[in-house]
Amino acid sequence: MDDLIYLDNSATSFPKPQVVYDFMKEFYQTHGVSPGRSGFDRALEAENIVHGTRKLLTNLFNGTDPNRLSFSYNATDSLNRIIMGMLSKGDHVISTNLEHNSVLRPLNHLQRDGGVEVTYIPFDSRGYVDPGDIEKAFRKNTRLVIVNHSSNIIGTVQPIGEIGRRCRKAGIFFAVDASQSAGAVPIDVQAMCIDLLAFTGHKCLMGPTGIGGAYVGEDVPIRCTIFGGTGVRSLNPFHLDEFPYRMEAGTLNTVGVAGLNAGVNWVLEQGMDKIHAHEIGLWDRLRRGVQAIDGVTTYCADDTENQNPVLSLNIHGFEAGDVGTMLDVDYGIAVRTGLQCAPQVHVQLGTDKIHGTVRFSVGPFNTEKDIDRAIAAVGEIAAIKR
Amino acid sequence: MDTIVINGLELHIDGDGFLQDPQLWSDEVAAEFARMDGTGELTPKHWEIINYIRDFWKESDMAPTVRSLCKQSGLKLQELYGLFPKGPARGACRIAGLPKPDGCV
Repeated sequence: MDDLIYLDNSATSFPKPQVVYDFMKEFYQTHGVSPGRSGFDRALEAENIVHGTRKLLTNLFNGTDPNRLSFSYNATDSLNRIIMGMLSKGDHVISTNLEHNSVLRPLNHLQRDGGVEVTYIPFDSRGYVDPGDIEKAFRKNTRLVIVNHSSNIIGTVQPIGEIGRRCRKAGIFFAVDASQSAGAVPIDVQAMCIDLLAFTGHKCLMGPTGIGGAYVGEDVPIRCTIFGGTGVRSLNPFHLDEFPYRMEAGTLNTVGVAGLNAGVNWVLEQGMDKIHAHEIGLWDRLRRGVQAIDGVTTYCADDTENQNPVLSLNIHGFEAGDVGTMLDVDYGIAVRTGLQCAPQVHVQLGTDKIHGTVRFSVGPFNTEKDIDRAIAAVGEIAAIKR
Repeated sequence: MDTIVINGLELHIDGDGFLQDPQLWSDEVAAEFARMDGTGELTPKHWEIINYIRDFWKESDMAPTVRSLCKQSGLKLQELYGLFPKGPARGACRIAGLPKPDGCV
């Protein structure tokens, strides 16, 4: 429908800035060739966009070497490469109850089949993990700490700098899932002591689906877990050890990279802080509005500090899925319901027993009018059961 | 997975009560599912919706959208909930014998 109020930006940001659509179309029509490898001018120009995007993202995350910025399908893909490339039998890994299945499932498989031990750290009543709790879980064989920077269910932004410094001091590698934070809040891999960073392009970086990536710091001995064509040194019978090839194989999603390039540039032009201020202001309006409605329960939504614009709630007497259906059909409001692929958050909140929550997630193109309509809709639905 | 017997036929259902093999659905199964989930006796309006869901599913191998269900039945969503208290998915689609819809739950 034309007047859809889209509040599912944590799943994927929508719409994208017009410049993203325009640039992707123009790029694919003029440079939809295999980047670099064939050596003709168009191929080299396409490679320039790819490498330029590596540099753009490396600068965004304050990395040091653009070749250590690799592309993938999405954050899940990068997280798999990180987890499988860093852990071996006998290793211990520490993570949190805030994780998405993109971390939980690879870890669960390694725990079940690969002889890896896993410790999950709970979050506090406000939705934050205590770095001290992570440090207390360090063992002699702890190889990796992996933390979700910003929860896709409650939006709390974790103190990754403090966690990173404690890991660095202990000689433990530190990986961050920046799916919900890259492009939303500042990330400095050097200052925050982040060894491995996974991100996706289609959320706060405003790119299309199907493109994500990872940044791997220096002196991080990640194994290659994907093997194949690199376009260079083809006589080598084994996959190349050097970056970015160690993390990539096969032809890249160049039109995705181009869209990501345009998205990141749009974010930088608008100003990440200004976008965040706009979104968190709307989130606060939504939070205050729904918290004033009798029968509405919100989760870990206390204030705007260290918070991304994600709000989970339930309405007394309703299943989350039914609320989502009503919001969609009766009010034209798109939200996400259920467990949002992060089951341990719900287990800790107790919402796993009631089929999850209704999640509202604000994006840069939402307005106060959208929020007021959402509050009114929640109010009308809640009133049905009173 | 649980097993129930309707009209002497043994049927497997998942933890949420959805029929595992939609081919084994029958009017009797629908009536029993409706009785079990509190929907009650099925009226012609119920059957209109159930038949629409089944026809759509046979055609496209998926459940119709809730919006199309409302449009087809001429009911507002609240009225649909009035007919199927468990809602369009866990109520109407389950009674119509469809497998549990995919979703992150």
